Amino acid sequence: MKNNNQKILEQTLTRRFFFLSFLKTLVVGGISWRFFDLQIIENQKYKKLSNQNQFNYFIIPPERGRILDRKMRLLAGNMDSFSLVLNWSESLDVKALIYKISQIIYIDKKDLDRFYSSLNEKKNNNPKEILITRNLSQRDVSKLAVRNVEFPEITFSMSKKRVYPQGKIVGHITGYTGVFSKLDKLDSNVVTVPGLDVGKRGLEKFFDNELRGKFGRKRNEVTSRGHVIDTRIYQQTSSGEDVQVSLDMSLQAFAMQRLEMGNYNLTSIQNKVIKKQIEVNENISYIDNNFVYTNQANKIVNPHSGSVIVMDVENGELLCCVSSPGFNPNMFSNGISDNEWSVLKNNTRSPLLNRSMSGVYPPGSTIKMAVALAALESGIINYKTKFSCTGVKEFGTSNFHCWAKNGHGSLNLMQAIEQSCDVFFYELGLKVGIDKIAVMMKKLGLGQYYNIETDEKTKGVVPNIKWKLQRDGVNWTYGETLNASIGQGYILTTPLQLVTMVSRIANSKYAINPSLIKNNNNKEFNNLDINQEHLNFIKKSMEEVVLGKKGTAKKYKIGSKKVEMAGKTGTVQVVRITEEEREKGLIKNEDRPWKKRDHALFVGYAPISKPKYAISVVVEHGGSGSSVAAPIARDVFKNLFKI
Amino acid sequence: MNFKSNKFSTDNPTKILLTKFLKINWVIVLCVVFLGLVGVAALYSAAGGNWNPWAKSHLTRLIIGVFLMFIITFIHPKFFYKLTLISFLLGLLSLVFVNFFGVGSVQRWITIGGLNVQPSELMKFALILMLARYFDQLSKINFNRLFSYVIPILYIIIPGLIVISQPDLGTGLTIIILGFAILFYVGVSLKFVFIFLLTFISSVPIIWQQLYNYQKNRILVFLNPEIDSLGSGYQIIQSKIAIGSGGLFGKGYLLGSQSRLNYLPEKHTDFIFTLISEELGFFGAMTIILIFCVLIASIVKISFTVDTLFSKVIVFGVGLLIFLYLTLNIGMVCGLLPVVGAPLPLISYGGTSLFTILISVGVVLSINVHKNEA
Repeated sequence: MKNNNQKILEQTLTRRFFFLSFLKTLVVGGISWRFFDLQIIENQKYKKLSNQNQFNYFIIPPERGRILDRKMRLLAGNMDSFSLVLNWSESLDVKALIYKISQIIYIDKKDLDRFYSSLNEKKNNNPKEILITRNLSQRDVSKLAVRNVEFPEITFSMSKKRVYPQGKIVGHITGYTGVFSKLDKLDSNVVTVPGLDVGKRGLEKFFDNELRGKFGRKRNEVTSRGHVIDTRIYQQTSSGEDVQVSLDMSLQAFAMQRLEMGNYNLTSIQNKVIKKQIEVNENISYIDNNFVYTNQANKIVNPHSGSVIVMDVENGELLCCVSSPGFNPNMFSNGISDNEWSVLKNNTRSPLLNRSMSGVYPPGSTIKMAVALAALESGIINYKTKFSCTGVKEFGTSNFHCWAKNGHGSLNLMQAIEQSCDVFFYELGLKVGIDKIAVMMKKLGLGQYYNIETDEKTKGVVPNIKWKLQRDGVNWTYGETLNASIGQGYILTTPLQLVTMVSRIANSKYAINPSLIKNNNNKEFNNLDINQEHLNFIKKSMEEVVLGKKGTAKKYKIGSKKVEMAGKTGTVQVVRITEEEREKGLIKNEDRPWKKRDHALFVGYAPISKPKYAISVVVEHGGSGSSVAAPIARDVFKNLFKI
Repeated sequence: MNFKSNKFSTDNPTKILLTKFLKINWVIVLCVVFLGLVGVAALYSAAGGNWNPWAKSHLTRLIIGVFLMFIITFIHPKFFYKLTLISFLLGLLSLVFVNFFGVGSVQRWITIGGLNVQPSELMKFALILMLARYFDQLSKINFNRLFSYVIPILYIIIPGLIVISQPDLGTGLTIIILGFAILFYVGVSLKFVFIFLLTFISSVPIIWQQLYNYQKNRILVFLNPEIDSLGSGYQIIQSKIAIGSGGLFGKGYLLGSQSRLNYLPEKHTDFIFTLISEELGFFGAMTIILIFCVLIASIVKISFTVDTLFSKVIVFGVGLLIFLYLTLNIGMVCGLLPVVGAPLPLISYGGTSLFTILISVGVVLSINVHKNEA
């Protein structure tokens, strides 16, 4: 019995043993299959995930190319600066970290906003570097560095900050860079990295691709807590190309200063009368901190705004391209504050506007060469044709006045240009017709874009019969032809177009186009296709403006034996003068509100003997062309020719 | 028997030792030592190629433990039979003690003479001994009477519930599964097996309610790791990444990026096998599992050659214990089981489980050495 029992028990134990062993084998088999599945079948997937854990891939922005003037002076360069970068990973409490950091150093609100927006923009949850701020001072760096243990997730990076040593003198031309934002339309192949600077305006924007250079790539090995334990660069950066512009900074600086001063006086703020004015007036533009500009009545005035452009008539290079008031592009590389921005934006003198290229003005009498050339080319008049000026041209129900109240008497074309007789050009305009004048203006470069290295361009307006009909659906009137003949009415030009017009006249052979780049030799100019003799006659007339006894700019000869300038003045009426006002007697320009004063214009070239440089000067609401604009042009030429 | 023992006692003690020494199952010893050394190597890698803090002390423990194992090998199993009750009671006492005076946020350890001991690990072996002793008189037990199960079930349930309440679900369940598997092995009638299963299934909702939140959470996360990819799911996701990225031959010893860069949690204890799988690949992982299988098979095989039920149950129980350790741990790291906290025997860092295994194996070796003596 006992033995039998024992036997049954043995059998049970064996059966159960094998049953349990079978179960164990199944379990081990299942686990082995799981490992086979993970390690062999899904290996690629997990390898990728493991790589994503192990490495963070980064792009290293290259050093941006410099912008240099024609004598290799620096217009835009790079300076070392410290940035604060967060090595973001999913497990990080960003808000608490930023709070802790901002207890130690000050972080600009704008930087924080940008930081949070790029934090929210991220596409996936892989760790990455996000820029917090790029304007750390040495002090901030050391303050944070001593407590680095508390913030293993933040790192400093040496980056380059864009600097513009010339400041506002050439701000419109260089433009500025800023941190990439969604609004910047870049080529799709441009990779964007935190803190990438892209050109936002001017040359920085136009040559953004050339200046930017090639990106490098690096790979960081990071721990689960975000510590970077190894960095390997596997693609070197290559710096951007330098861009050399045709500007001459010494001329540019002189022209800027000369334009802003105009005919004003430089007065020290130590002056008693001035001190009193400073006390009551808040918005004063100081010159070198210790001086102000004052007018004849010893009152503090704002510097003139306007434009001065000097252009090489042989190759179209711009030697100076001033727009006043300017802005300091360094404000943007420091991260412009909302306050600074609104001051710039709301300034009534619009310092952000590049007047040289996108400011439009009626050309006034500076257009008269074009009208004269149109008349000569169409054969309607010859050099000897005379018209009589009594100071007013009655046409239909209206009176069209000459600037000389009592008239110029009978004069020919050359005399009419010399003295800028309006009535003569009314008669001429009527005879030639607006369409032919428009064709000549276009030939001389008005009413069109140039292929110049900036995005800020304006076409201006060269009106003709068709244009009026298309725009307003109304027929052109002869009265409008009269206005157009003296550069008033619909016609609008930019200072750049005016200097191009003069360059073409001075060159006489080619339709020169302006350029901001030095030695841009691959530019071929079209033939100007205007009778050489007619052009010579016009040039002679322009010489008379300066050299003639009755010339409107006769007071402002250069007076050098070698170099003399020729030109044409222009005074542009901004508001219509009614007959009543005219009878009462005109209010002097200086007594009108600034916005209602005339624009002062001058276009010209030098030397007379062999034209080399053309100039256009526009002084906004500056008064008369002959008294304000012409002397500026003369002084700029004097500076240029070292006289 | 007397004659025999007299003869033995008159023999040269050195000769007796030598005879016993030759009877040692060297396959088991080799497997144990090899796996222990794998542990040392893995812990060296886990510390980033450093002997400190784990590899050195694991090696020290291994040497002491193996020495202890050999000493136990030469002790006659009768001695363990006598010690059974005391060790079980001591185990229970220390478990209760841990619940009141335990160290750490989860009360699992007690400190004895500067050493942190985890009584729940030792309890597993004490339970095997206790059940073995109980079933040694199997012939007197009528398996058709329900009452026969009350005592062994109490042996199982009491320590099991105490451990679960520590709270340590993994070890507690191991104890319970271990106990019931032994019950099954010794021939519980199938009728009662079904009754147990039904009772267990119907009590699942009740057990669920008794669980701590973190335990419930772990099970939920196990069912769907994505719901908590930064919390408890993080471990399992990162562990799977590490294992999967190992491929066929692994990333190379000391070169596992997941472990080196701290993406692996608990890489020196519960997730040590993940590190091995990452660095040595499918090939390495399978080799380790194979050696464990050889070890387990060599142990349980002994049960056919021993006479007493006491020895049979111990041998079978120790084999089962190692198997449970192994499958719970590996099943956990590869995401087949919830993260319950189960060390990998001989390899994971942790003295108590290492010593539990070495002592158990020592007892098995002793049974094998002394099997043909009465």
